[in-house]
Amino acid sequence: MANAATESAIGESAIDKIDQTIGESWIQKVTGWVFSAGGITICLTILVAIVASIHKGPYILVNTVITGGMWALMAIGLALLFSVMNIAGFAHGEYFMAGSLTAYYVMQPIGKYNLDNPGTFMAYVGPLIAILAGTLMCAFLGIITERLVFKQLRKRNREGWLLNCFLITIGLSVIMQNGHQLIFGADFKGILGYWDFPSVPILGVYISMDRICAFFIAILTMIGFYMFMMFSTAGKTIRAVSQDEDGARMVGISVDTVHIMTFALSCGLAGLAGASLLFMFPAYPTVGVMPLYNSWFIIILVGFGNVAGSIPGGFMIALFQVVTRSYLGEGWEAVVPVLLISFILIFKPSGIFATKVRTVWDE
Amino acid sequence: MLLEVKNMDSGYGFLQVLWDVSFHVEEGEFVALIGPNGAGKSTTLKTISGLLEPQGGEILFKGDEIGGLEGHLVCRKGVAYISEELNLFVNMTVKENLQMGAFTIKDPDEQAENLKFVYELFPRLYEREGQYAGTLSGGERKMMAIGRGMMSRPSLLLVDEPSLGLAPMLTNEVFRALRTLNKRGATILLVEQNVGKTLKNTSRAYILEKGKIVLDGKSEELADNEHVRKIYLGH
Repeated sequence: MANAATESAIGESAIDKIDQTIGESWIQKVTGWVFSAGGITICLTILVAIVASIHKGPYILVNTVITGGMWALMAIGLALLFSVMNIAGFAHGEYFMAGSLTAYYVMQPIGKYNLDNPGTFMAYVGPLIAILAGTLMCAFLGIITERLVFKQLRKRNREGWLLNCFLITIGLSVIMQNGHQLIFGADFKGILGYWDFPSVPILGVYISMDRICAFFIAILTMIGFYMFMMFSTAGKTIRAVSQDEDGARMVGISVDTVHIMTFALSCGLAGLAGASLLFMFPAYPTVGVMPLYNSWFIIILVGFGNVAGSIPGGFMIALFQVVTRSYLGEGWEAVVPVLLISFILIFKPSGIFATKVRTVWDE
Repeated sequence: MLLEVKNMDSGYGFLQVLWDVSFHVEEGEFVALIGPNGAGKSTTLKTISGLLEPQGGEILFKGDEIGGLEGHLVCRKGVAYISEELNLFVNMTVKENLQMGAFTIKDPDEQAENLKFVYELFPRLYEREGQYAGTLSGGERKMMAIGRGMMSRPSLLLVDEPSLGLAPMLTNEVFRALRTLNKRGATILLVEQNVGKTLKNTSRAYILEKGKIVLDGKSEELADNEHVRKIYLGH
C-alpha cells in the first residue's frame, strides 16, 4: 500500500509539472482577460472615457471620478449585505438619506461658527466631524435595524428568506422616508459647501474643494475597507461567514456578531456617501432613491455579492451617466443605464465578472 | 467520560430523525458510528456540534450540558466538527483557512505551533499553502478540513464520512491520518459508510439504524457479528 501511495504522489507531481509547462504565460493571461466579459467592458469603458474627454472636454473624466467613488461606496455596502447575509437591501438609499440629514444638522452650528470666526482650525476639521457623525449615525441605525428586524426574522423563519428580506427592506424604506418627512419636514436641507476654499483648476476644469475632498474620502475609505477585510481578524470573519456560514460556526466564529458588524459597516458606508455628498444632494425624504438605483445598477453590472467588483462598477456607471447627460441631455442619464442593465440581466445574469461567490441563484 | 449522549431526540422541524439515542465516548478512544443511508448518523453529529438543536435528551461534554448551545460556543468548548460537505472557505488560501481554524486561540505562538503540527501531519497542505481552497482536489479538501478542525486543538473530533467520494487509495491515507491523530491523543468520533475499513481502524463502534442504536461493542467483535456481516460486509 505504501508503494502505491508513493506511486500516486509521483504521478500527481508529474501532472503538476506538465501543468506548469503548458501553463499560460502572462501575455496569454492578459489577452485572455481582455477578451472576457469583464475585460471587454472595462476596456470599452476606458475607451469611451478617453474619446468623450477628448471630444467634450476633460470635465467628463473629472465628474466621473468624483461621483463614481461615492457610488462605489454605496455598492460595496449593498454587496456586503448580499454576500454575508443574503439580504437584497432596498432600504440602502435611506441610510444615504440619514447620513446626509445627520451631517446637515451637525454642519449647521459648525458652519455658523466658521462664518463668525473665519480662518480657524475648524474650517478644515469641521466638515470632517459632520461626515464622521453621519457615518457613525448610520452604522448605529444599521445595528438597530439588524437587531430589531433581521435577527427576529432569522430566529422565527428562514424559509423564503430572500423574498421576505426584499419586502421588509422596502417597508423599512417607506417607514424611514415618511419618518423623515414627519419629523424633519419635506423641504430641502442643504448647505452651500463644506470647505470654503477657492476651486482648484485640474486639466482646465475648476473643481470645488468639496468635490476633491469627496473623491479623496472615497479613495481612502476603499483602501481602508480593503485592508480591513483582508488583514484584520474581524474582516476575515466577515469573509468567512460570506463564504460558508456553517463552516464559520464550526471554527468558533459567532455568526451573530458578524451580522452586526456587517450591518454597521454596510450602513456606515452608505451614510458616509450621503454625508460626503451633502453639498450636491441636500437632505430631503427621497434623496436616497437615486443613489439606491445607482448602486443596484452597479451590483447587477458586476454580479450579485461581488464586493471587490463594485469599485470598477461604480466608476463605470458614473461614466455612463455623465456621458449620457452631456450627449443626450439631462433626464436621459437614468434611461441608458437601465437599458444596459436590462441587457446584462438577459444575456449575462451573473454579471460581467465571473464570480464564485454565493448568489441568489444558489439559494 | 469525555462525551455522553443520553436519550437524545433530534430532527429537522417536524421531521424527527433520531429516537432516544444514547452512547458515550471515553477520553482517547476512536469510536465509529456506522449505519445505512438515512439512519441519522450525520444528524447525530450535527446535533452534538450545535448546528441542530436537540429535541430531547442530554448531551454532556466533560460533564457539562452542551445540547442546544450555539455552534460557535460548542466549538469553543473543544469540539471540532468536520462535516460531510467540508464547509471550507473556498475563496481563501489554504493557510488562511487553517488560520481561521485556530480562530478560538488568541495566542499567536500557539497558533503557529498548531499550524506546524497540521503541516507535519499533511505535508501536502504545506505544498499548497498559497493556493485557494476551492482549487484543491477532493483528497486535499478532506485533508484541509481535518487540518482546519485540528487547528483549534480540540479534545473531541467529530468526523463525518471522510471517505465519501474518494478513491480507495486516498481513503486509506485519510484513515491513516485519523489513526495517527488518535495515537497522538485526539479522541475521535467517526461516522462512516465504509464499514469494513472502519471496523479495522477503530476500537469501538455503534450501529445506528432508522434513528436508533441497534448494536454496539468492540470493533473486532462487531466484524464477526452475524447481523453486521450479512447487512454491511456482505459475506
